[in-house]
Amino acid sequence: MIKIFNAETKLPYVILFIVTVVSIYPFFYMISTSFMTIGEAINQYLLPKKLHFENYIEVWTSNNFQRYTINSLIIATIIVSGILFTSIPAAYSFARIDFPFKNIIFYFLLISLMIPEIIMLLPHLLIIRGEIIPLPFGPSWMNSLQGLTVPFMGNIFVIFLLRQYFKKIPKELWEAARMDGASHFYFLYKVVVPLSLPIIVTVSLFSFILAWNAFAWPLLILTKDDWFPVTVSIYGFIREVGPNFNLLMAACVISILPILILYFFTQKLFLEAISNFGLKG
Amino acid sequence: MNFFSKYSNQITGYLFITPAVLLISLFGIFPVFFGFYMSFHKWKVFKGRFLGFENYQRILGDISSFWIFVFGLLLLIFSYWSWSEYKDKLKNKIPLLIFSILILFFGLFLINSSWAKMVSLGDDDFLYSIIYTFYYSFLTITSEVGLGLVIAFALYQRLKGKQFFQMILLLPYITPAVMGAAVFFIIFGKAENSLLNEFIGLFGFDPQLWLFDKRPITEVLFGIKINNFLAGPSLALTSAIIYGIWSYTGYYAIILLAGLSIIPSDLYEAAKAEGASRWQTFIKITIPLLMPIIFFLLLTGFINTFQAFNHIYVMQTSSAGDTMDVVTVEIFDHFWDRVKFGYAAAEGVVLFILLNVLAISQYIFFRKRLNYD
Repeated sequence: MIKIFNAETKLPYVILFIVTVVSIYPFFYMISTSFMTIGEAINQYLLPKKLHFENYIEVWTSNNFQRYTINSLIIATIIVSGILFTSIPAAYSFARIDFPFKNIIFYFLLISLMIPEIIMLLPHLLIIRGEIIPLPFGPSWMNSLQGLTVPFMGNIFVIFLLRQYFKKIPKELWEAARMDGASHFYFLYKVVVPLSLPIIVTVSLFSFILAWNAFAWPLLILTKDDWFPVTVSIYGFIREVGPNFNLLMAACVISILPILILYFFTQKLFLEAISNFGLKG
Repeated sequence: MNFFSKYSNQITGYLFITPAVLLISLFGIFPVFFGFYMSFHKWKVFKGRFLGFENYQRILGDISSFWIFVFGLLLLIFSYWSWSEYKDKLKNKIPLLIFSILILFFGLFLINSSWAKMVSLGDDDFLYSIIYTFYYSFLTITSEVGLGLVIAFALYQRLKGKQFFQMILLLPYITPAVMGAAVFFIIFGKAENSLLNEFIGLFGFDPQLWLFDKRPITEVLFGIKINNFLAGPSLALTSAIIYGIWSYTGYYAIILLAGLSIIPSDLYEAAKAEGASRWQTFIKITIPLLMPIIFFLLLTGFINTFQAFNHIYVMQTSSAGDTMDVVTVEIFDHFWDRVKFGYAAAEGVVLFILLNVLAISQYIFFRKRLNYD
């Protein structure tokens, strides 16, 4: 039998055990509280006496929470598809095709990584209100789905990651495809994309989390609750919750769930990506 | 026809990048220039008259002091650079050391004096928010990387369940900041039986108000009243700092673990053969070899945490006063609550300049390793 604990691994295990407890405890607390009655929640019991699933039903059916969750799903899905739609061809082009000023354009776009998000918000707001350039789909994008999604559809960081990956695909493949008369477009969608699925999944997850996290921007442009995402609704919830911790926690569980599910399915890819690039977030 | 077939490659290339370039230019780069433009105007919802530097004047008190302040920061960087660049090239290191230290002190002196002048004339709320942000960034990033290093080193040993631990470590990182902050808002609650108060009660401490307490941390811990920079963040801001550490430490641990596995294992074996203890190996081999990565993470992390917004905004309480108003929150309040667009834009430009000084230092420290391909 292999001994798991010996003198050499005792300390690492102790450290990792503490880290695990600290990392998980808030989740445990959240889930446990979400099943409690108000009284139990206020008195900060460790575990509920009886599992109150009613909390979830109450949260889900009241205060439009259901709609906000669906809003968030819609918004995040649109942003992810938008990012993939603009980034995959761009990354391919930057990696494979030669055209004048390629590197200058690429470095120019990289500037956008250095600009703090808070500085962008104000000009974005004016653009969305249609005060700077005329917008398609209506004079103003305030309170609208396009206002929530379009500004985030171009992401140079995603292009950067994809480009690194596309560069590793052997040139010979393209030479062979061109011999057979394939266009760049055909080659990209029949060869490059299927070969690059791991990185595409990774950047999708990364963009999904970013989109799900969006908070300041929706708070700014939404004056009506038609398109409230779940983050803004939780924020409102915290401000007016009073002692109903149990309901707040149930709402949090519901709104973290999509991210957790995605994470569990893609954790290996995600871990690899962070080890290699240190995903920014 | 001829033209198209001749240049079809180039045309496809441009077509492929067009959507991304349009979107990123409009939403990623144009805003900075427009922010500059706005900062020179009176701008309340709609554009007003041209103000010149008046907004900056009101924020910084004295614009030349601000440049002296920036110059002082650059001197600090220069002092480090001159030391690291020439220490191996010169035989006699003493004059160089003295020179670097002199530059360092001169830089600190400039920073201190220009800051004092700015605070006496300028917008206190904004200037203090920079200090709060500094507390926040400095304390979170150093703890994150420090703890991350310990965890990475623990993970690096031959253990069972490494995969499992790595998965757990990233859980806080992927948790959306607003929801995470909602949970911590209750854990750090002011109730006497809140989780954290119960926990510190185990060690015999009195319950604290946490997010609702604006006393500086030194006063809470040691009972001394300090009235300057050294007083440290308020207890409320410290709670936000703890949340920041909770959410990012695992992420840094994973990156540092990747860094650890690059170190050749024969180095460790050689050390073992020499009879070095594990602690000695850690200090003498691991840390020096990891130093570039650690330093890089500290700098980029500092720049990133300087922009933290979501969880701090969510965790704000009215009884914490303005002690949780970090720069981003301050700017957001200015244009959202008080509708001072031009003023907020000017604050944004100041933040942008400060962050760029940090980015310059990053470039100087890492230019030898800078490689985008």
